[in-house]
Amino acid sequence: MHRIDCPWCGLRDEIEFAYRGDATVRRPPADAGIDAFYEYVYLRDNPRGWHVEWWHHAAGCRQWIKVVRHTTTHAIHATAKADEDMQVPRS
Amino acid sequence: MPASAPEPLSALHGVAAPGRHAVGGEAPLTLRERRPSLAMLLARKARARDVAAAVQRRFGLALPAPGRAAAAQDASAIWTQPDGWLLSADGAAARDFAGAVKSAVGDAGSVVDQTHGKAVLLLTGAPARRVLATGCRIDLHPRVFAPGRSAVTQIAHIDCILRQVDAAPGYELIVPSSLAEAFYGWLTHAASAYGYEVLAPA
Repeated sequence: MHRIDCPWCGLRDEIEFAYRGDATVRRPPADAGIDAFYEYVYLRDNPRGWHVEWWHHAAGCRQWIKVVRHTTTHAIHATAKADEDMQVPRS
Repeated sequence: MPASAPEPLSALHGVAAPGRHAVGGEAPLTLRERRPSLAMLLARKARARDVAAAVQRRFGLALPAPGRAAAAQDASAIWTQPDGWLLSADGAAARDFAGAVKSAVGDAGSVVDQTHGKAVLLLTGAPARRVLATGCRIDLHPRVFAPGRSAVTQIAHIDCILRQVDAAPGYELIVPSSLAEAFYGWLTHAASAYGYEVLAPA
């Protein structure tokens, strides 16, 4: 069980959240071509280590937040509001 | 709602029947259904200040910050999400409350009547914290959660808006009306370990 520090609600149990994927993916420009959109829609990295993720606080404030989580230890390094830029730790 | 329409029944009508459910003669908890008018208020983009000013003007109510609730003479509010609040009113102020909120905020906010979308229960008494702890994941210790605090969470897997109303402690529990009977069943089961009295709706 994760305990996720929602920037709006404070520390809440994972059960209130829905995982919504990689938060570093950016939509390509409209004229970027089919390959760029194929990658944007379907292809994701599967890193072992720190990962910047979307989590939706579905049973709380209904906001999408960013969470920097370690995919093997499940440690949570930081959380932030959706419009903030998040960096992964060096280690 | 037109004046001629019949008053809709509460979701807990016939469920929350008044009576004592004592353990060894003790009923340290009271449970009471409340029937306020409810309205969800969402500020439109970049209009949160206008909404707050309008609500302050109309109801003398300062819209609360995240995790907080606020009360004034004619209305009270619970923060539910960024730039979003659940407003409630009792008595004379409850009449066409959502309409009154909408006319106050105008195009700065969106208002949805929630009066019959939600059921409201008030749980009061010394063991209330321990009762809620059997289904609520929020830390309700008085060191971190006191009167005036609120939370949007799940209790017993049911979406619940929780507000502490006094230090008795008393908690207001607001759940979807379609799940009110299931929630009431869970709550009375949890409270049965201590003994409780159901009071007539107020």
